[in-house]
Amino acid sequence: MMAAQKLIALLLAWSGIAAALARYFPGRRKVLLLSCVCGFAGGMFLLALCKVDSPASIIRFSAGAAFLSVWMTALTALYRVTGRGGKSLPSEDIHPTPVFMASGAAVMSGLLAGAISVYLMVPKGGAALPYILTLGLASALFAGSAIALERFIPKIITLTTTATLTLVVSLLLFATSLTLQLDLFAPLSMKVMKFIHDFVHQFFESMLVPDHLFFRHDVWVYIGYLFSRGVGFWGGLLLWFAPVILVGVAIRLEPLPPVSHIRQGAERRKQLANFIRVRRNRLIVPGFTMLILAAAVYNSSYPNVEYWDPPPVVVTMNPSGMIVIPKKGEIDLEDGKLHKYLFRQKGREARFMILMTPNGKLTVTLDACAICKPDGYGQTEGAVICYYCKTLIPLETVGRPGGCNPVPLPFEVKEEGISIDALTILNRWGETVTSTSRIEGGGK
Amino acid sequence: MASDIIETSGLTRSYGEICALKPLDLTVPAGQWLSVMGHSGSGKSTLLNLLGGLDRPSGGSLRLGGEDLMTLSEDGLARFRREFVGIIFQQHHLVPYLTALENVMMAQYFHSVPDEAEACSALEKVGLGHRLKNRPGELSGGEQQRVCIARAIINSPKLLLGDEPTGNLDHQNTGMVMELLNELRAEQQFTIILVTHNRDVAAWGERIISLDDGVLVREERTGR
Repeated sequence: MMAAQKLIALLLAWSGIAAALARYFPGRRKVLLLSCVCGFAGGMFLLALCKVDSPASIIRFSAGAAFLSVWMTALTALYRVTGRGGKSLPSEDIHPTPVFMASGAAVMSGLLAGAISVYLMVPKGGAALPYILTLGLASALFAGSAIALERFIPKIITLTTTATLTLVVSLLLFATSLTLQLDLFAPLSMKVMKFIHDFVHQFFESMLVPDHLFFRHDVWVYIGYLFSRGVGFWGGLLLWFAPVILVGVAIRLEPLPPVSHIRQGAERRKQLANFIRVRRNRLIVPGFTMLILAAAVYNSSYPNVEYWDPPPVVVTMNPSGMIVIPKKGEIDLEDGKLHKYLFRQKGREARFMILMTPNGKLTVTLDACAICKPDGYGQTEGAVICYYCKTLIPLETVGRPGGCNPVPLPFEVKEEGISIDALTILNRWGETVTSTSRIEGGGK
Repeated sequence: MASDIIETSGLTRSYGEICALKPLDLTVPAGQWLSVMGHSGSGKSTLLNLLGGLDRPSGGSLRLGGEDLMTLSEDGLARFRREFVGIIFQQHHLVPYLTALENVMMAQYFHSVPDEAEACSALEKVGLGHRLKNRPGELSGGEQQRVCIARAIINSPKLLLGDEPTGNLDHQNTGMVMELLNELRAEQQFTIILVTHNRDVAAWGERIISLDDGVLVREERTGR
């Protein structure tokens, strides 16, 4: 059911891309359809044949590069209308539409969309060909229908080059947001949060701010806001939406065409009114693009995935102060799944988890990281995810310290099972986790 | 030879069982001043409303400036009125809380975009350059009618329709308004269709037609 929902969303996004290209390259329907199909098929086969360890990083990198290109284009468009080289509507209206441009745009979009579809839909390690054939057929059908139905979209909806690129990339970003591993928004907001944390830290380090009473009570409260989750989220949103907003502003600022040579006042005003109307209609697409990006943010914030997250098993320590958990008891610690435990002692408690990584290494970590609030982790395909910041931690790197990785704990593997010092767990929880949860709604 | 701006063939308009305009064949060359006479209820205003796109015919054909009004949608008809027709009413229909200038600019706004300088210029052209900021209540009947003329011509219509434009004016103001219309027509080359009871006013036209009970009963040339 979930896969079907994702497939429909993906194909609708793909149809949107095809329709947008058909609108931007009028009269190139056949070339577009052929290029879309070839690009999509190419993307699918490239990813299916790809032998690298992490194809997700390639797709994410490509989507990130596309997003950067939108930023660049938006800034260029804004400069063009505000700088000396201000251009008016007619130069934007006349699209140079040679075949190679139309097909190039369709192939590039298709490559990325095809790769995303394979990553989303084809099960890892299974036979890929039936899925690829089905996906290819469905994508061709949807692209063909979109290109054919594009003529029924009201003619007032016109696309500038910048708006087309923004729309196409936004639809691709929406497609990537359908899976955690490809999503760009969560890492973006995480980077923003980290940048602000680092900046504030370095700033106060360099300023040698003394530990003054005022700072303790007042200033630190405000500084605390900079460390809240909202900073990363809202900062990420700003970077996420800014290019589209800039595109909209660039359209709005397009200078009026020269009309002083027209003698008749009514005709002069009519031309100005036409220009203003067309310019206003051009804002429809950036507005629609904002909705798509908002949908991507929603997908990222409320991912449609099922996590493996068992309730923690309450454990006790033995007389020597050790917690011993058998490797093969009721729970098989070597099954590759996440296992959570809860230890309580004299009003103190700590959560920890045991996981065998894909390379066969047992790891014992806190159910929290050193950065975020201790919301814990869930396991999804190939990774554990921090519930607080939605960062995916590849299973191979669980057990290593740093970043949003779960904080590792020292342990010993003995005959009777895994042995962990109970006091160490409580102390480590106290040192790291308690301090991260102190700031309301924020990380450390 | 000027091409015909108005072509009607068998044009009729009925309101239920009452036939306000019986089949009418009429052609008006571009740039002509046509006066329409007739007593009350003879179908003058019905004809004017049809020619201005304010009403739809019950039958026949109606082409204005090459455009078939019978086939136009409501939006198309609105666009046609906006760009093709200017109308002067007997009752002025000026917005009372707007100044003379704003009344003219409102017509610009509904046509395209307002242009204050151009609206000022139009009011100066009708001799109201000194009354720009006055509201209709502060203007005389003749001045109000001149604001109407400025409003009607501001969008450079090809067809100017007047429905008893001098009906409320005294002899002096009537002469002034007619003189003004004549000057503007010479300058802007638009066609005028003027409905009136007054034979002196009708005589300003090049051609006069008379309607009686919805039928064209007489047509004459004035020699102007």
